[in-house]
Amino acid sequence: MRGGHSPFKPRPRRSWRAPGELLNFTLFFVCAVLLVLSRIGHGALTELRDGFVDLTAPLLEATSKPAILARHEAARVKSYIAPFSEIDRLKAENEQLKQWEWRAKLAERDVAQLRALLNAVDEPALHYVTGDVIADARGPFLRSALINLGRDNGVRVGYAVINGAGLVGRTVDAGASVSRVLLLNDLNSQVPVLVGHAGVRGLAFGDNSAELRLDFLPDGAALHPGDEVFTSGSDGVLPRGLRVGVVTGSPGAYRVRPYADLSTLDAVSVLFFDAPTLTRTDPPAVALDRALSASPDDTKVSDAVPTASIEPPSIDSEIKQAGAPIATSAESVAQSPQ
Amino acid sequence: MNATVPALSVLIAVLATAVPWGLPGDATFIPPMVVVMMVFCWRALPDTAFPPYLALLLGLLTDIMSGGPLGFWALMALIGASVGGRVTSLADSQDRNRLWLVWAGVAVLIGVLSWLLGSAYFVRWIDWWPIAFGAIASTLLFPVVLRVVVWLRRGRLRLGPKLYRGLS
Repeated sequence: MRGGHSPFKPRPRRSWRAPGELLNFTLFFVCAVLLVLSRIGHGALTELRDGFVDLTAPLLEATSKPAILARHEAARVKSYIAPFSEIDRLKAENEQLKQWEWRAKLAERDVAQLRALLNAVDEPALHYVTGDVIADARGPFLRSALINLGRDNGVRVGYAVINGAGLVGRTVDAGASVSRVLLLNDLNSQVPVLVGHAGVRGLAFGDNSAELRLDFLPDGAALHPGDEVFTSGSDGVLPRGLRVGVVTGSPGAYRVRPYADLSTLDAVSVLFFDAPTLTRTDPPAVALDRALSASPDDTKVSDAVPTASIEPPSIDSEIKQAGAPIATSAESVAQSPQ
Repeated sequence: MNATVPALSVLIAVLATAVPWGLPGDATFIPPMVVVMMVFCWRALPDTAFPPYLALLLGLLTDIMSGGPLGFWALMALIGASVGGRVTSLADSQDRNRLWLVWAGVAVLIGVLSWLLGSAYFVRWIDWWPIAFGAIASTLLFPVVLRVVVWLRRGRLRLGPKLYRGLS
């Protein structure tokens, strides 16, 4: 045979590499298509993702529990070995808080009297349901968390989420038993806020860093580091008066440091605030007459939920359980002692 | 060696990305990079089956867990698998430094691509520091991850029919 090639000798099977290369190319193409579909927010993709997250929720919860327990234990050990100076600091802070409590009670009484004089209509109480963070869905482009509350618990897209310290974010996806919370510091998070005693209006943007960027302030706005920042409610999505954080930075580059530690979230509460905007974008499956904050009486609250408020709780209990002053006079209580 | 052990080990790494470790914001790029690194290591080891479509599936799972753009980590895992598949001439017990160097290059490539792709996806320049930090940290973590992967592979070979009969 010429060239030393015999038809009976096995030849290098280079052609078999072609299907492999083609497969690789196809897989890269699939990724590109998925990215484009994800960017345009294809509904089927979102539903698939929500369904999958719902399915894997028990697994995620089981996986997360040891890590959360370990974190709690570490915090406990840290508190045990805290130096005496920390105890002194806490004592001093407690004294200060007692004074604030007294002033808050006086202010609350004054507000109640003034409201009675004006025949002011009481704002309806906000209801909430409390659950746990089961997965830390944070990435380089996204700051979100998965919580073990879903539509079965009355949660819908757009609801505000708080913890003991203040506002955490809002729900952006709601499955049957799991919801995704977009954290305040996410790139896509924008919260209209009121700043300081004067109630200067502004917008707090997330930029994936630990603090929020404060922008769209009126010209000549007098802000000072340490000023408290609250939600203004002007977007018609979040309730007014939720604690967000404190102002940091300098003129021209003001930032907001959130009260809530967004990197170590644990128990969070979802506020049932059915603003008309939300009712249009995510119609309630249960009752339409809940617009502008009504009770979730006709929503099924799962037994798995750690705590749930069905009856309007008192202001005190709201602060104790949900950890933040929520609308009504609680807001005045939080702001008036200045 | 079939793909069961590699797939399971990467799956555990994917699940670990969703665990609320309480990591600071700058470290959020590290867990998914470990997933890509494991894919790279498994593909780089000779006589190990880890098909690219498995890398795609596990990357997609990472995307779903993180809630980020669908297809993003799948693409990064595919890049890791493609480069890893082309360095199979390196044995698992030698040339680890060379493998480390290759991974450093892959980490830089993934970092730059992530930043560009992320900026294009969100139509704004995203913060590059967490990505750079993640790429550097993953490069430093590489020997640890490689050691784990090699250990898993050797354990599988030694205990093969005894321990993994049910999984195969």
